[in-house]
Parts: sequence; structure tokens; C-alpha cells
Amino acid sequence: MMNYIWLALIAIGILTAVGTDIYESSINKYRNGVEFQALVELKDEFKTNTQLTGILKVSGEYFKNFYSLKNFNAKLITNEISIKVNQDGKGVAVLNISENTPEFWKLMAKGKGTNTDKLVANILKFEKNENGSYNVVMVFERISLVKIKQVLNAVIEYSDIAVKIAIGLIGVMALWLGIMKIGELAGLINLLAKIVKPITKRLFPDIPSEHPAIGAIIMNISANMLGLGNAATPLGLKAMEELQKLNPKKDTASDSMVTFLVINTSGMTLIPATAIAVRAALGSGDPAAIISTTIVGGFAATIAGVTAAKILQRLKIFRKELEENNETKTEVKE
Amino acid sequence: MSFKEIMNIISVVAIPFVIFTFLIYGFAKKVKVYESFVEGAKEGFNVAVRIIPYLVAMLVAIGIFRASGAMDVLVAILSPLTNLIGFPAEALPMALMRPLSGSGSLGIMTEIMKTYGPDSFLGLLVSTMYGSTETTFYVLAVYFGSVNIRKTRHAVLAGVISDITGLLTAFFICKLVFG
Repeated sequence: MMNYIWLALIAIGILTAVGTDIYESSINKYRNGVEFQALVELKDEFKTNTQLTGILKVSGEYFKNFYSLKNFNAKLITNEISIKVNQDGKGVAVLNISENTPEFWKLMAKGKGTNTDKLVANILKFEKNENGSYNVVMVFERISLVKIKQVLNAVIEYSDIAVKIAIGLIGVMALWLGIMKIGELAGLINLLAKIVKPITKRLFPDIPSEHPAIGAIIMNISANMLGLGNAATPLGLKAMEELQKLNPKKDTASDSMVTFLVINTSGMTLIPATAIAVRAALGSGDPAAIISTTIVGGFAATIAGVTAAKILQRLKIFRKELEENNETKTEVKE
Repeated sequence: MSFKEIMNIISVVAIPFVIFTFLIYGFAKKVKVYESFVEGAKEGFNVAVRIIPYLVAMLVAIGIFRASGAMDVLVAILSPLTNLIGFPAEALPMALMRPLSGSGSLGIMTEIMKTYGPDSFLGLLVSTMYGSTETTFYVLAVYFGSVNIRKTRHAVLAGVISDITGLLTAFFICKLVFG
């Protein structure tokens, strides 16, 4: 199952990116090679073959029509520009991308993949007009394969993030494994398992009722309920380690593991800490208003997930991988 | 004291309390606490390193999917269906992103609340949705990765069923309470 999902995410992603890029080049979305007209007000006296800075001005109407934009309301677009023009009126213009830059130009700059803080254009004509500013005709640098470049960047960026997340876990992981070791040797984990036995023997029938796995599972679920994400992951991984000790087939998930994971992937919590914090930061009148609704949503997810896991674990297609193990065992015996 | 205040106090006190209890109980049971702690903690590094390949595989796939804009295509395909139950199209990216990416769904939630206000129906809905499920694919990768399990059997399907139920329940309960 994971094979298909993984392949689907990557294949759909790459096909969408290629498709989008082909479509965008067919309608020439970024107007490659098309002449763009604007006004430039220079800060200094005009001189040929010199780097000069100024402000580029375009009417919103012209901009909207030029790029065939649907939702664009600004009346006037201004952007910082630096130019260098020779005596024939030809040269190079560089637009600095800043906060005030229209979204579409930001998108174009981002789509280049490199030097995303500026847009470069070739100046074809540069003439003084009667108002003392300059009429400019220019063609922007070619922008193509935007999505593919973004996908490529994502590949590198996300493999980096994956390692950073793993490295970031080392500290809390060590802390909780250390604490759990003390609890194990002292018999506290077993005591905990004994207390919750009535519930856990139904949820995890194949774990012996006083096994340390139960203790770790209970601590992980408690941490999740209290919104303590930092403690929940190490405790959950500790529980997985204990479950793996009971697992007859080491590369295949056991029924208990799946049930335990589903409890973790559903948001059973009493304090949705992150959502409340974001709401408070955005000036909500009652950031905690969502506590009751979130509890209902999270518990519904948990009940549905556990029920689904219990039903699915009996289906033939999901038993197959477990039974392959038994077959090989009997073969060995014979 | 309100429920929220009580829960806040518990969540602050919980970790120091657990650490204290474990140490004192261990000491009382004549466990060599320092030595045992170090013995257990040294595994921390190995576990973290073990999950790297699983995390790289999962996050790169999610990264490609997000960067490609496939989400917009999926929203366009699914929105006629979700319109049937009155589910707002603006919240659909949140529903699709939530199981895939924690940072992605946090970004979408923040963006929607900035645009429509945290106390609007949409704002309340997306923040409820954010809390109602977890980043299923990330959790699967990390948890199974930590013990080198590659065949996940029905875990993905059960996880997705749980996500869909959580998100739909979030929508219906929000409609009932805030709608």
C-alpha cells in the first residue's frame, strides 16, 4: 500500500509539474519575447553607458492586459529599476523585487530558480518624453519550466529537512529513553500497564498485559492528549521498539502496531495547543473557542481509525504479508 | 477555573512531574538512576539516525507533490463533490494538506485565518480541522522507520479513514456549534 501511495505522490507531482509547464509555455504565460512598454523616472541625470537608478511606472490596466491577469486591481504599478543604456537607446534593465512588486513579477522572479531577487530585461528603446521622464520598451528575460524548477528545489530542500528533523530528535529521544529505562528497571512501567489493563487488553489483545510496551503506549497517548508533542514522539518510538520485540516478522507491521499508529495519527487531544496559539496571535476574541469542537473531531477520528484497523486487519489482502512468513516457516520445517 | 486553565496547568506541570516521579520511585526501588538513565539514553542517537531514510523518502515525495501545484488540481476535481455537503471550497486545501504536511497545513490555516479572520466560520473550521487529525504520513514514516518496518499493511488505509472521519466530523460539529 505504501508503495502505491509513495509512487502516486511522486508521479502525480512530476506529471502535474510537466503538464503545467507545457500549458504555460503554450499560452506564453510569462510573455517571453514580447515587448513591454513603461515609463522610467530617473533619480539622476541621464548618461549613456552608466548604471542609473530610477522608478519604473506602468498603469495597472496595461499590466493586467499584458499578462492577461484576471484579478488585478492596482491603478498604478511602481518598481525600483536600475538601467544601463548606450547611445543607440539599447541596454539592460534590472528590476529589484521588493514587497511592493506586483505578485506576478514576484512569481516570475521565483520561477527563474536562481537570482530570485531581481528580474532582468533587455532595453530596446529608451527615449525622453515631454514630461522629463523616459519611455522605455523592453523584453524580459526568458522564464520557462517554472514548476519543474520548483519541484527540483523541493527535492533538495525536503531531503535536507528530513535529516534536520531526525537530528533534532536526538536530544529529546535520549532524554525520554533514559527516563523510561529508569521506569522500566524500577517496575513503574509495568505498574502503569497493570492499571490500564482493562482498556488495553481489548485494544491490543496480542500484547501480554504487563508488557513494558503497554506502559510506553499509555505514556505516549497521555502526552498526545496533553499536547506535549516533544515528549509524545520519543515515548511513541519507545513503544514501537517494545512492540517490535513481540513482532514475529521484523519487516512487517503487526496488528498492534497498526492500531497504535492509528491512535497516533488521529488527533486525540485535550488541548489543541498550536491552533490556539495561532488564533491568539491573529487577534481572535476567543482563541480557545475551538477546544470542544477539536476534542469531538479528534475522538471521532480515533474511534473510526481504531475500528477501521480492527476490521481491516482480518481482511485477506492485509493478512497475506503476515502469512507469507508462516509459509516459509513450514517450508523450513518440511 | 475553566477547563482550559486546568488543562494549561496540567500540560506545564506534567513533564517535570513525570521525571520527578520516575527518579524518586526508581531511587526508592534501589535503581542506579544515573547509570540507568545514561544506559537508556545512548540509544537516542541510533533511533534518530534509523528514521532518516524513511523520512527522506516520505518528505521528498510530499515536497514534490506540494511544489508541483497538484494540490490545486486536486481541489478543482474534489470541490464539486464537497460542495454537495456544503463543505466550503476555501477549506479544502486544508483538508488535503493536513495528513501530508504539518508545516504546510499550519501555513494554510494561518493564511485562511488572516484572510477571513480567526473568529469567522472558516477560521474556526480550519483551526478545528488542524487539531482534529495529525500528519498521518509523517507519523507513519517516523514510527515504522524507527523499527525498520517497510511493509505497513493496512496502516495507511486505516490512517486515511481516520483522517477523513476527523475532518468531516470537524466540519459537522463546527456547523452545529458556530454555523
